[in-house]
Amino acid sequence: MPSLVLERVSKRFGGITAVSDVSFEVPEAGITGLIGPNGAGKTTVVNLITGMYKLTSGEIRLGGRNVGSAQPHEVARLGISRTFQNIRLLPEASVLDNVIIGFHRHEKASIAAGMFGFNASLSEIREFRERARALLDRFHMARFAEHPAGYLAYGHQRRVEMMRAVAMNPAILLLDEPVAGMNDVEAGELGDVFQELASSGMGLLLIEHNIRFVTKLCQNVHVLDTGRTIAAGPPSVVMHDPVVVTAYLGTA
Amino acid sequence: MGIFEVYHPLFNFFLLNVGYAFSQQIVLRAGVFSVATGGFAALGAYCTAILVVDYQVGEFLALAASLALGMLTGLILSWPLARLRGVYQAIATLAFVQIVTALLLYAEDITGGAIGINHIPRLATTWQLLIAVAIVTYIIFSIGRSGIGRAFDAIRQDETVAGMLGVSIRRYHILAFVISGAIGGLFGGFHALLVYSIEPALFGFEFLAMVLTFIVLGGKGSVWGPIIGTAIIVSLPEIARPLAENRQMAQGILMMVMIAYLPNGVYDSLVSLIRQRRAAKWDRANQEKSHAVAGA
Repeated sequence: MPSLVLERVSKRFGGITAVSDVSFEVPEAGITGLIGPNGAGKTTVVNLITGMYKLTSGEIRLGGRNVGSAQPHEVARLGISRTFQNIRLLPEASVLDNVIIGFHRHEKASIAAGMFGFNASLSEIREFRERARALLDRFHMARFAEHPAGYLAYGHQRRVEMMRAVAMNPAILLLDEPVAGMNDVEAGELGDVFQELASSGMGLLLIEHNIRFVTKLCQNVHVLDTGRTIAAGPPSVVMHDPVVVTAYLGTA
Repeated sequence: MGIFEVYHPLFNFFLLNVGYAFSQQIVLRAGVFSVATGGFAALGAYCTAILVVDYQVGEFLALAASLALGMLTGLILSWPLARLRGVYQAIATLAFVQIVTALLLYAEDITGGAIGINHIPRLATTWQLLIAVAIVTYIIFSIGRSGIGRAFDAIRQDETVAGMLGVSIRRYHILAFVISGAIGGLFGGFHALLVYSIEPALFGFEFLAMVLTFIVLGGKGSVWGPIIGTAIIVSLPEIARPLAENRQMAQGILMMVMIAYLPNGVYDSLVSLIRQRRAAKWDRANQEKSHAVAGA
């Protein structure tokens, strides 16, 4: 699977510079961390990668292909997916349908086939349904298949979001604070899922506040503060960097 | 046969409006607050009427022309509307309907102005309408279970998420407008071949409110919503005479009650109620099972 490369990426909103000259790589088959205090620009970076914001300058490449000026749906089709800080599911749709929609970028049946119910569309629907059911079993969510996703408990909604991301099978998955509000057991379970995905070849970018969680999972960590990279390297080194400690705790 | 004879015109009227309801539903389902169905219907009706009356074109060719005109108008309309959302789409499409009715009024030489077109031969039969409704129902049903329906549902519920999933919002909005235009145009054509005479006022605000009521009442999530919603509105004046005399007011009150208490429409609310019941039953059964295991 291709890796994701950011090169001197900057974003200004009017006079305010939210992200400036940020460069890093999310390699395949690994988990890369992106941390920093509130307002450091982490979510802005995610929004830049997914095409929700336009770059002010710099370049974003996926496997050598420039995706810096692509529309959100084009970025998604090329294989970059994300989860949201505040989980965003389709609240009225059932859990099963929320997972099936994850297969959208793999759909091959034409619009005409869908409109007139041709076999190409029908067999595809059956296939996606079976694969979604298998995912539900794997995440122990089979009994919620027909529940409207909006009514589920927080932890279960997270799992639905993860199943949707897995269904998309992206090359790069951006995780925006995936374990916020979870206890250590729940976070640990989700961490196992992330490691499983990474070992299947996916490149993950983990944006987190939970330092313990990041230290446990990531091979490399990048630290942002006020839109700039202030440190980068293996977590054991970065976490003891005085610059990082100052950014998080302030000067004594 | 006697009873059917009495209700025959009503049944035709019902079928015609089911068509309009589907034209309205498809855009709402895709998250587009369009009220353009009235405009599509007006164009379709005049297209068929003019072709049949002035140019002696055959019925089916005229209907096909109306369908194509609706499609084309939908395609063109989707372009300036791409950037608009929600209430702004409603205002812009309302303006579109106004432009169409104004043009029909001014182009007197072709459209007969305010008097409209009269003496249109009544060529449409109930069977033809029934077949047209069946085909449209099948297409809407197919869309609903295919990836297109899922893309529409995703866009309606959360555009950002839909984009993140790889759904091109632009592409699916165009598709919704084109389908809505095609259905609206076709049934506009049938309308002209059913009622002897048409005038611009037929497709004004009252029409638009009525078609919206079908969906608000029935629901926008499945093929049954428009059918049930239309059936209720069409049969209401027949059930009780006072309702017929105060038709507008009765419809208005019904709308307000629906929006306040069943915002998803009769059918969709029923479905989600059954779903929740079933889910609750599942939960209870599971709990009992785990208690039983713990007890043993």
